[in-house]
Amino acid sequence: MDLASIVYLGVTFGMFVIFVLIVIRTYSKKRKDEGEIAKYQMLDDD
Amino acid sequence: MENQTYNYAIVRSFVTWSIIWGLVAVLVGVIVSFQMVDPDLNFPPYLTFGRLRPIHTNAGIYGWGIGMIFATFLYMVQRLCKVPLWSDKLAKFQLWFFNATIIASAVTLLLGYTTSKEYHEMEWPIDVMVVILWVVFAINIIMTILKRKDEQMYISLWYMMAAIIAVAILYIVNAAAVPVSLFKSYSAYAGTNDANVEWWFGHNAVAMVLTAPFLAMFYYFLPKSTGVPIYSHRMSIIAFWSLIFMYLWTGAHHLLWTPVPDWIQTLAMGFSIMLIAPSWGSVFNGYLSMNGQWHQMRENYLVKFLILGITFYGLQTLQGPMQAIRTFSAFIHYTDWVPAHIHLGTMGWVSMICFASIYYLVPRIYGRELYSIPLANLHFWLILVGQLTWSISLWIAGVLQAGMWNAMNSDGSLTYTFMETMVEMYPYWWARAFGGMIYLAGLIVFIYNLYKTAKKGGAIAAQATVVEGRA
Amino acid sequence: MWERKPVLLCVLATVAIMVGTIITMVLPFAWVNTEADRIEGVTPYTALQQEGRDVYIRDGCNNCHTQTVRPLVPEVLRYGDYSKSGEFVYDRPFLWGSKRTGPDLARLGGKYPDAWHYKHMESPRSMVPKTNMPDYGWLSDNQLDPQMIQRKMDVLGFPYTTEEIKALEGKNEMDAMVAYLQKLGSDIPWREATETTIVGDLKNPFIDAGQTTISGWASLYVENCAACHGPQMEGDIGPELIGDDYDDEILFEIIYTGIADGGMPSFSNLGTDKVWKLTNYIRHYKTDGSQ
Repeated sequence: MDLASIVYLGVTFGMFVIFVLIVIRTYSKKRKDEGEIAKYQMLDDD
Repeated sequence: MENQTYNYAIVRSFVTWSIIWGLVAVLVGVIVSFQMVDPDLNFPPYLTFGRLRPIHTNAGIYGWGIGMIFATFLYMVQRLCKVPLWSDKLAKFQLWFFNATIIASAVTLLLGYTTSKEYHEMEWPIDVMVVILWVVFAINIIMTILKRKDEQMYISLWYMMAAIIAVAILYIVNAAAVPVSLFKSYSAYAGTNDANVEWWFGHNAVAMVLTAPFLAMFYYFLPKSTGVPIYSHRMSIIAFWSLIFMYLWTGAHHLLWTPVPDWIQTLAMGFSIMLIAPSWGSVFNGYLSMNGQWHQMRENYLVKFLILGITFYGLQTLQGPMQAIRTFSAFIHYTDWVPAHIHLGTMGWVSMICFASIYYLVPRIYGRELYSIPLANLHFWLILVGQLTWSISLWIAGVLQAGMWNAMNSDGSLTYTFMETMVEMYPYWWARAFGGMIYLAGLIVFIYNLYKTAKKGGAIAAQATVVEGRA
Repeated sequence: MWERKPVLLCVLATVAIMVGTIITMVLPFAWVNTEADRIEGVTPYTALQQEGRDVYIRDGCNNCHTQTVRPLVPEVLRYGDYSKSGEFVYDRPFLWGSKRTGPDLARLGGKYPDAWHYKHMESPRSMVPKTNMPDYGWLSDNQLDPQMIQRKMDVLGFPYTTEEIKALEGKNEMDAMVAYLQKLGSDIPWREATETTIVGDLKNPFIDAGQTTISGWASLYVENCAACHGPQMEGDIGPELIGDDYDDEILFEIIYTGIADGGMPSFSNLGTDKVWKLTNYIRHYKTDGSQ
C-alpha cells in the first residue's frame, strides 16, 4: 500500500470517527433533555 | 407584550417584494416556455430565449427564493431568540438594496451583460452588490442571535447560520473575475477548472440557498402550524452535520463524463448517494412529527402545504442522487429530464414552503386573518397540478429523447439525426407550457387572496398574536 | 457547547463545509490545466474568434447548446471525438452548458463551410424547417469595436498583431460568430484521425429498386442535403447535383465520408442503409421533377 492509499483510508476513517463521535454525543443519555429542550422552547414564544 | 418590539414591518415588506419577484420569475418562465415551441416569439436582441432564461432563473432564485429567505429569517431570528432585531435600520437598508440589486440584475441581463455561468450570470458590479447585501444580512442575523434569550439554539438557527456562511464563501469564490469594463469580465479560472468551480458553486447554491434555509423554515413553520414539536431535535442535528458536510463534495455530478478528473466525479457520485440519508432524515422528522396529527392535513391548509413541500423534497433528494450515478447520467443528462428535476424542487419543495410560510405569517404581519381559506385550497391544487404537469411531461420527454439519442442500427450507425429527436419534443414542450400556465394561475389566486387580506378592513391584531395558523 | 455558542457553531460549520470544498474544488487546481494537460496544437482565440465567443456568451447560446462531447459511443458517433481537458485551457469562462435543446457544438469547427453558418444564423428554419432556434441575422447589423476587442485580448493575455486588430474594422458580429464557431474543437486533428475508410467492394443494395420506391426517399434528401444543395439539387452553398456522372460507389463514398477540405460533412452516422438510399435518390433525380 502506497502513501496515497494510507492517507486516503486515514482521512476516510477519521471522518467516520468524527461522525460517530457526534452521534454518540448527541444521543448520550445525560444529554437527552438538553438535546430536545429547544423544540419545546420554540413553541412557547408568543 | 414583548411582541410589540418585534419588527414585523420589515418582514411584511420582504414578503411583498419577494412575491413580486416570484411573479416575475414565473411570468418570464411561461414566456420562455412558449419561445421553446415557437421561435417567432423571440424578439431580438433583448427578448430572446438566451437572454430571458437567466432572468427567469435568477428572478426565481435571488428574487423569490432569497427574498423569502430574508423575510423568514428576519422573522424567525426574532422569535427563536425572543429578542428584537439587532438593527432595524440595517434591515431597512437591506430591503431597498435587495430590490436595487434585483432590478440591476434584470436590466443588465436583458442588455446581455452576462458571465454565462449558470445561476451566477450577473456581471461583476452586481456581484459586488450581492456581497454587500449578504454581509449586511449576515451581520443583522448573527448579532441578533448573539443577544438571544434562550440558551439552546433551535435547529432552524443552525441551518440559518450554516447557510449564511456557505453562501458567502460559494458566491465570492465563483465570482472571481478580471474586469475588462464595467459590464464585461473574464473568469479567474479557465476551462476545466472553471467548470469545476462553477458546479461546486452551482450545486451548493442548491444546497445552501434552496435547501438549508428552507429546511430552517420547515423546521420552524411545521411545529408552529401544527402546535406540536418536531419529532426529534437530536435527529435533526445529526442530519444537519451530515448534510452540510456532504453537500460540498457533490458538485461534479453535474460534470459526469466531462474532462473533469474521474476521481472528482466518483467522489461526487458517492457523496450524492450518501446525501439521501440526511435529506430523508429531515423528511422523516417531518412525517413523524405528524404522528397523531394527520387529521390536520384535512383541517389545516398550512399543514397541507408543508407536508406536500417536504414530500417534494423527499422525491427531489431521491431523484437527484439517481441522476448523479454515472450510468444514469450518461443516459439522461442534457435532456429535458434535468429541468423537470429542478422544477420539482423549485416549484414543489421551495415554493410550497414559501407559500406555507407566508400564509402562516399573514395574521402576524397584516394583523388580519386570511381573506379566504377556500382560495388558499384552490391555490394549493393549482400549483400542485401545474407542477406535476410540468415535470411529468418533461420526464417523459427526457426519457424519449435520451432513448432516441442512444438508438443505434445493427450496422453501428445512429438511428436518428438530432432533428428527428428534437421534433418529438414539441408536444411535451406544449404540455410544459400548459403546466406553467396552471401554476401561474395558482400564483395569481394566491396574490389575489393576499391582496384582499391586506385590504379587508377591521384589524384583528390582538387575536393575531395567539393564532397559530389553525384554520 | 456549540448548541449554546453561535460563534463556535459557525466555526465548526465552516470547517465542515471546507473539507469537501478543499478536496474537490481547491485540490484539482494541482492537476487540471497543468503541463500534463497541455495538448499541442491548441491555440488561444484570435481577436475575431474571441469576440465571437463573447457574442455567443452575451446572447446566451450556452442555454441551448453544450460544448463537451462525452466519451460515450452514441455521442462520439453523433458529434465527433470526445472532449479533452487540454482543449479548454483558453476558455474563460468555460461554456460546456447543461442542456442540449440544440445539438452539442464542441466539434462544430470545420464541419460546414462559412456560407452554411451565415445562412443558418440568418434563418435557421430556412435550412432546418422544424428547428426552434431563433433567427440571429441581426448580428450582421452590429459593427465590431476594435479598441474594445484589443483591450479584451490584453486582459486575456492572448497574442495578437496590430494588423489583426485593424482588420476588425468593418467586420460585424456575425463575422465574429462564424469565426468562433469554425474554431470550435478544431485544434486537434480528430477529423482526419477518425476518417472512415471503406474496406472491400461496395455494392449498391438497391440497384433493382423501382422509381416509386426511390422517390419515397425524398424526405432523406430534404432533411440532410437540401439546405446546401437546394431543394431541386440546383446547388446553393454546395454544388449542383444534377447530371454528375459519378458511379454509385463513388457517390456513396462521398456522402459517407464527406470531403473534409471541401466543406462537405460526413454522413456516416446515418448508416449505410440511408446513405445508399440517398445515393440512389440523387442518381435518379431529374430536373423536370418526374423522377
